[in-house]
Parts: sequence; structure tokens; C-alpha cells
Amino acid sequence: MDVDRSSGRFEVSAMFSKTAKPKMRSAAWRISMWAALAFACGTMVVFVFLHQFVAGDIQRRTDAWLTGEAGVLRDVAARTPKEWLSRRVVAEVAELASREVPYRKPSGKTLNDSVFFMQTAADNSVTLWVGAGDPAAHLRAIQHSRIAADTPTDIEIAGFDTPFRVVCVVTGTKGNIYLGVSERDQLRVLGRLRLRFALLWLLIVCIGYAIVFLTTRRLLRDVREITEAASRIGEADLSRRVPAPRRKDEVGHLAFTLNRMLDRIESSVHQLHTITGSLAHDLRSPLTAVRAKLEMALTARAKDEESESVVSAIEDMDRLTEFLDRSLDVAEAKANALKLHRVAIDLDDLLRVMIDLYEPSLSEKGLGVQLSSAGRLEVWADTALLHRMVANLFDNELRHLPASCTVTISLREAEDNALLTVEDNGPGFAPEVRAHLFERRVKGPDSNGHGLGLAFVDAVVRAHGGTIEASNRHIEGARIAITLPLNVKSGGAVSTESALASH
Amino acid sequence: MRLLLVEDEADIQNFLRRSLTEAGYQVDAAGDGKTAERMAVESPHDALVVDLGLPDEDGLSLILRLRNLGLHAPVLILSARRSVDDRVRGLEQGGDDYLTKPFALAELLARLRNLVKRTAVPAADATRLRVLDLELDLLRREASRSGEILNLTPQEFILLEYLCRNAGRVVTRSMILDEVWGMRIQPDTNVVDVHIYRLRGKVDADGRRPLIRTLRGVGYVLKDR
Repeated sequence: MDVDRSSGRFEVSAMFSKTAKPKMRSAAWRISMWAALAFACGTMVVFVFLHQFVAGDIQRRTDAWLTGEAGVLRDVAARTPKEWLSRRVVAEVAELASREVPYRKPSGKTLNDSVFFMQTAADNSVTLWVGAGDPAAHLRAIQHSRIAADTPTDIEIAGFDTPFRVVCVVTGTKGNIYLGVSERDQLRVLGRLRLRFALLWLLIVCIGYAIVFLTTRRLLRDVREITEAASRIGEADLSRRVPAPRRKDEVGHLAFTLNRMLDRIESSVHQLHTITGSLAHDLRSPLTAVRAKLEMALTARAKDEESESVVSAIEDMDRLTEFLDRSLDVAEAKANALKLHRVAIDLDDLLRVMIDLYEPSLSEKGLGVQLSSAGRLEVWADTALLHRMVANLFDNELRHLPASCTVTISLREAEDNALLTVEDNGPGFAPEVRAHLFERRVKGPDSNGHGLGLAFVDAVVRAHGGTIEASNRHIEGARIAITLPLNVKSGGAVSTESALASH
Repeated sequence: MRLLLVEDEADIQNFLRRSLTEAGYQVDAAGDGKTAERMAVESPHDALVVDLGLPDEDGLSLILRLRNLGLHAPVLILSARRSVDDRVRGLEQGGDDYLTKPFALAELLARLRNLVKRTAVPAADATRLRVLDLELDLLRREASRSGEILNLTPQEFILLEYLCRNAGRVVTRSMILDEVWGMRIQPDTNVVDVHIYRLRGKVDADGRRPLIRTLRGVGYVLKDR
């Protein structure tokens, strides 16, 4: 029981009394989403690292080729002083070199535009040019970037999309030799690599996601089956067990533990049944015999003065029996061991009959009674228990309400439940009683009942999977609100139809 | 009227045999299922009173076995359990009745009489009921006394009709609740008494001869003589 003193009211809530189930959404999606995200990040880091490594390696190999070729060209230029011959030889070497460019596309044009060779004189005029495009643009770009000797450098040249890797060789008085190779092929190779990486990455992440999702879902399906079975067991048959997966993992262990717990619960409930059953039986037989003897005594001395005390002894016995019955009922119901024989019951009709039965008694005491109901509302419940429950509510009002008060009973549909409220404009629940209203043996200071009435009401409501809440009304009087699950087969549609029909 | 009483506890058996004999029944008593079966086969009975907790077998299986042997007499079941299970409720629909222990003798006698009457004479489809100077028109739902119309509510009419149909016999509060309101409850308060009190105020008013008599601790009788 959860007592909320600050708001001046309290609620009785039990695990099984809440009927509104939270909508279930599988955790498999969430888990596999996070798993896939972690997986994607991890593989991404690995790929970035690999990419850097490959790009660095390609750069290194290009640079090695460039410096090597530039060295050859310097040697050739140094050994062939004759101007024309020199040009010729250098041009051929350059041509040759341009065909050995690393990472070239094999089907390239003969005169490719990915390599250039340039020799400048001391006065910065181009003396030799092999390559595509305008040598002046190349020279401008080279001069602009202040290139260091024998160090390959990236240079952007106007008219080309991709930068060139250029090495500068100083040949003393003859000026400089520049050898440049376009980074286009290099970038293309890296681009292709990245594309393959991306596709592979996507594939791996998808496969990983699918694997995690499927395994998680399978695992959670086992858990869900266990949950569903367990909830069914709670409301119906204690002899059933949750399905135990064959695997010996945590879920299998959970099912095993649950089943063992159910064994224990079943045996305690069985024990309770046996105890209450035998208690009822063992007490009842002597009670029957005693009652019989009293009745015999009554007939033997029919007109005697003592018959008065015999009659009152019989009445005391009947009260004792009734008390015994109710105590056992409440005990069984509190232990969730009441046997329900559920049928579809129209609560509206039941209330009308009950009001009919109680109205004379109420008006005899100067109490009024009102029913506000929209019409037919079917619940799935045990008729005998509901009759007794409503009778207890009325008995409670009859006993405690001072004259000239009114009992207002209202019935309506609230979500998947029938909401039954019993309100009065009397003094309300006494503070010392209020917090323990639904416990056994709690009665008001001036009560002459045995204090089981509302405990029994609470027990019946719980046994049906409903909720009960008692509070003092805002201004004056007491209010008891009860919800009972609607009959699923008819549901709300029927009740609205008949409500319309009755107007 | 010949009864077969099946009850294993000597005290209760003695008491019941005496009381039932006093009430005008011829009683055969058995203490266990075997004896009961033999007696039932030997001679026909008008009704049976069977305790569910017999030493040698379950009273219910005895009843079912006797039914299979061709027994048609109605059975009043005595049960020491406080709520009877489905099988007994099923029997109740078949025309039998049950009582939980401990019971009031008057209740038992009343129910037994009701049971025998129910099976012996199928409910007469008369449109009028007459008890002394009280007359009920079942079609127009009107009651009159010495020709003077009584101003009854529909519920009061049903209650009076029930009393009339059982005129001269004791009806208990729980029988009234069961038959008129269709519920087996034991209210803490005197709801039935208040209904009877009101009805009596209308039926027995104006110095007429009182018809509805209260039997303290037992129930009510509508006098028919």
C-alpha cells in the first residue's frame, strides 16, 4: 500500500491490480542499433588508418621515382654538354621517364599529360620543355611556390584539376631542371580504394546489424514468451509453467528460476487451500452439530423463557460462521487464491437490482441513493463475488452514514475498464481508519461490524484484476472508486449502442 | 414422502432424522456411500439429502452414480465447504439444491419442501393466485385484498408472488434473496426484513387480518388458513 499523505488521499496498488499494460516495444531494435553504431565507428577508424597508410605509401613511392629520375636527368645533362645533343638526350630520357610513371592507367595516351619535364636557363627562360600544356604557366607556378632543391613539393598549376608533384634539380650554371608528375593517377587510385572501403564498410555494418538484430530478437523473444506465460499464470492457472528454452544461458536460467518460484508459490497456495479447506471443514462440522443441538433444545421447550437465550445463541453461531467464511474468503483472496467462475455480467443491471434490494433499507435510515449510468456495461467476473462485493459496499454505507445523506453510484467506461464509484456526502473516512481501510479487522470507532467488509471488497477487486481507491471527497464525504476489466468479447461498442438505445 | 438421508456424522444424522421425521417425512438414513447406494436401489425415494464429505467417497460421485442408475429424485446437497464448486452449481441447474453447513433447520426444511414441490408439480401456469382474501393477477401484475387493489411496486409484487406460491410454508431470508433477487448473499444488514416490513405495511394495513408472519431467527410465512 502506498500512502500519499501530502495530497490527502491514498491509493491501493498492487502489482497485479494494474490492468493497463504498458505498450511493449522490442528492445532488439535499440540494442542492434547501438551495436551497429559502435561497429561502424570501429571499422571506420580502421579504414581511415589504412587509407592514411596507403596514401602515404603511394606518395613515398612517387617521390622516390621523381628524385631517382631527376638524378638521372641531371647526370645526362651534365655529361652531354653539346646544346642540341643535350636537348635530344634529355628529351628522350624525359619521354622514357614519363612512360614509367607509377600508378598510370595502362591505356593512357602516348603523349601523356601527367608528366612534364622542364629545363630552365640561369635567367629563368625555358630551354627545354616536354609535356602537355603551356610551359609558361608551369614556370609561373613553380616560381611562385619557391621550391627547394631535391625535395618533391605539391604545386597547383593553372589549367589542371589536380596538383603536380614537382622535384627541382639544380645543375649549376645551366639553370634548373624540373620534373613534375600529376597526382591525378594517385588520387584516382586512392579514390577507388575509398569507394571500395565505403562499400565494404556498408556491407560489414549491415551484416553486423542483421546478425545482432536477429540474435537479440531471438533472445528477447524467449524473454517475451516467458513474460507472457508468467502473466497468464498470474491470472489463471498456477499449475502452468513458463516455457524453458533449451539453451543453458541467462534466459534459460531465468525460466528455470521462474518455474522454481512458481513451484513454491503453487505449493504455498495449495497449502493455503488445504489449510482453509480443512479449517472450514473441521470447524463447520462441530458448528453444525452444535447448531442442531440448539435447535433441538428450541423445539423441545418451545414456549420456555430460556428459548430466548437459545435463539440468541443460534444467532451468535450464525455470526461466527459468517465471520469464519469472510475471514477465509479475504485470506484466500489476499493470497490470490480465490477460485473465480467468470461469466459476462452486465454491471448496470447488477447495480439496479442491488439498489432495488437496498433502497428500502437506505430510505428507512433516511438515506437517498442515486444511480448514474450510461447503460449496459459488461464485465468478465464472478457473479456471486460481485454480488457480495456490492452488498458489502451498501452494508458499509448503511452502517456508517448518518441520516439525510445521499449515496451516489456512478458507472461508466474508462479505457478498458468499467469504473464504478460509490460516493456519499457524509463525514468521510476517519483519518485513523483511512490509511488502513482495506486491511482486515479495521473498522470505524462506532462500527459494530466485524471489519471485513471493505477488506473483502478489496480482495474481490484484486482477484478480478481491477483497482480500488478510497478517498475523502474534496468538500465532504467519502468516495470509493473501483475499476474492473471489461468483458473483452463485447467491449465498449455494445455499451455505447445500448446506451443510445436506452435514450 | 420418503427421504434418503446420507450423512456420516452421527450427531447431525440423528438430529436430521428426528427433525425430518417430525416434519412428516419417512426417513432412511445411511452413514456412507455404499449403504446409501444399496438403500437407494432397494426402494424409491422422493428426495435425497446428501452430505458431500462421506467417509468412503465423495458425495458428488455418489449422486452421479445414482443418477446413472436411473435415480430421478431431487437431491439437497449439504456441503461443509463455504463455496461450492462448479460441479455442484451444475447440479443446481439440473433442479437440485445445496446448503452450506452449518445450516438452519428451517432453511433445510424450506428448501427440501421447495425441491419436492418443484419436481412433483410443475409450476402451474395459472394467471391468478389466491390466498384467503389476497388475490394476485399475474398478467396485470396487480394484487388486491378483499377486492381492494394494493398499491405495490413491481419488486413488492414479485416478493408477494413468491410468498403466495409458498403460502403456508416457511421461507427463509436467504431463500427470498435467492428466488426474488437471484443472488446468494448474506448481507450484514436486515435488507430483506425491511422489504417484508414495507410489504406488510401495504398488505396487512387498515386493521386487516395479518397475513405475513415472522418466525424469529427463521424467516416468514404467508398464512393460508
